[in-house]
Amino acid sequence: MSINVHLRSCIITCASIFFIFLQSNFLQAQDAAAPELNDELVKAGESIFKNNCLVCHSIHDKKVGPALADVTSRRTVDQIKAFITNSQKVIASGDEYFVNLYNEYNKTLMTPFDFSDDELNSVIEYIKSETAKGPAVQEVAAVAGATGQTAGQEGMLSAETITVFLAILLVILLLILVVLFVLVGVLTKYLKQKAQLSDEDQEVVFQKFDIKQYIRSPGFIWIMIFVFTAISLMTVIDGLYSVGIQQGYAPTQPIAFSHKLHAGDFKIDCNYCHTGVRKSKNANIPSVNICMNCHSSITKVTGATEPSKEIQKIYDARVNNTPIEWVRVHNLPDLAYFNHSQHVKVGGIECQTCHGPIEEMEVVRQHSNLTMGWCIDCHRTTAVNTKDNGYYDKLVELHAESSKNPMVVKDIGGLECSKCHY
Amino acid sequence: MNKSNIHLILLAILGLSLWSCKAKDNFPGLEYAPNMYNSVPYEGLSQITDKSQGMWLSNREDGLGEFFNSNINNDHNMNMREPVTNTVKRTDGGYLPYRIPKDSADYAGRVLVNPTDSTAEVLADGKALFNIYCSACHGPTGNGDGAVGKVFLGVPPYNLGRVKELPEGQIFHTITYGRGRMMSHASQVAVEDRWKIARYVHVLQNQN
Repeated sequence: MSINVHLRSCIITCASIFFIFLQSNFLQAQDAAAPELNDELVKAGESIFKNNCLVCHSIHDKKVGPALADVTSRRTVDQIKAFITNSQKVIASGDEYFVNLYNEYNKTLMTPFDFSDDELNSVIEYIKSETAKGPAVQEVAAVAGATGQTAGQEGMLSAETITVFLAILLVILLLILVVLFVLVGVLTKYLKQKAQLSDEDQEVVFQKFDIKQYIRSPGFIWIMIFVFTAISLMTVIDGLYSVGIQQGYAPTQPIAFSHKLHAGDFKIDCNYCHTGVRKSKNANIPSVNICMNCHSSITKVTGATEPSKEIQKIYDARVNNTPIEWVRVHNLPDLAYFNHSQHVKVGGIECQTCHGPIEEMEVVRQHSNLTMGWCIDCHRTTAVNTKDNGYYDKLVELHAESSKNPMVVKDIGGLECSKCHY
Repeated sequence: MNKSNIHLILLAILGLSLWSCKAKDNFPGLEYAPNMYNSVPYEGLSQITDKSQGMWLSNREDGLGEFFNSNINNDHNMNMREPVTNTVKRTDGGYLPYRIPKDSADYAGRVLVNPTDSTAEVLADGKALFNIYCSACHGPTGNGDGAVGKVFLGVPPYNLGRVKELPEGQIFHTITYGRGRMMSHASQVAVEDRWKIARYVHVLQNQN
């Protein structure tokens, strides 16, 4: 056991000494070679690199594979070439450096590339030239962040301008009021100084405003009673109509998922996550593996330095194999049947028609009231999407015999009770 | 006058109390006859895990709340279940399970033949499916410049380098198992749809 450990540590020390030696050697070599980079070779290398390597490698950042800056100082050119042409063979040969790399990167095998020697040289030359340039600011992230910010600012600006506009309007109105009061004051003063006034005029000028008398007048009392009753009745009726309707319901979800970010800014199609929408009754809530399609790599919010706590919840659910208990927003009563595929795939109706501007919602809220009247209204007016659908051919034919209007859902039983209630 | 005053005040109180029944934020609003709203059978997406919910009107024999509809025999009381292992889905369009292992992508590329016809209809379907499942990362024209792809980094363009030469079988294999950092999309895209996408990707590979 101890001999084994000794041996291992010996090998590691030897290897590291060897590496340090190699590194210093190659750093010198590189320094010497740096100014003599062949521009043509670099250009050829750039195109090969971008078309083949960039998927998994970056010069200065760890991606699928390691950062390639200074790779020539870590391994010899021949070793690099051998690895690019057939990484599996190099690893199988037991090269310790590459075996460690292979283990460090979750045993991801690099695709073998069938490059000629010239092509390999040009790629290595390109990596050298990029190494010399040093890491650039991550443009993509910056751009994405900037667009996100401007989008946010635009929304804020419009709201701000409205507020400013209202404030200015208020100030102007107040000024007019003050001016009017001043005018009244000045005029009364002027009239009081005048001696020759008729009795009627005097009454007007010297009258005092008695608020108590005003409130006690029957006219005022009746108006107030009327207004009060009207408002109360309106609230009662409105309240009664809201029973059983969840329009505006916007529950807090276990993960603060933003549709505005995913569907709005990143333009991910609704169907990508809600996979059932074209196939089944339910649109489906995505399972964790669908989140992981992107979040395997994207661990933080654009522009943030720390990994997101909300995204961490996905990883926790995945590791612990626990369900994420999303809160259902659209609770169509069990007494009514609704089928997504029928409306989305066959009918060709956009998600937003019923769900509203989902791509602008930070927290999803029920946009439509989902009452029967709401369903029926649409069934009365919406023409059926019969194009290229053999199922409707006979129905269209029959409908055309009796009517000149386009066939709406109502005409093919869209108002029949048992279609939705059974 | 006094009597009508009381009526008025009662009306106002009723109005205000009803006003507070409206759905807002975390409150779903007042329900009328909730027995008819909640599903008695197990439902995947509207399962109620709180055993005491609806206790006030419950006449269930097991003594639980009227609205509790989760399957206590499953892990986490989940109603949804995974398909039984080693079974074949009947709804997969007649395709048998894909048996080529993940590491045999080249082999898949050599032996698999796209079962869909190369018609304009299939291509249109493929394009629509591509725009749903692929374009977020790979971009609408397969250049790797989708809005997500720009943040994900390192999405290869279809019409350059190694990817340009990939046969349709290998594209199918990649959608099924994923490759590198791309994860498997088999749970989202049906077998036939994968082949349709492969047809369309082949068109994108050959663009300039």
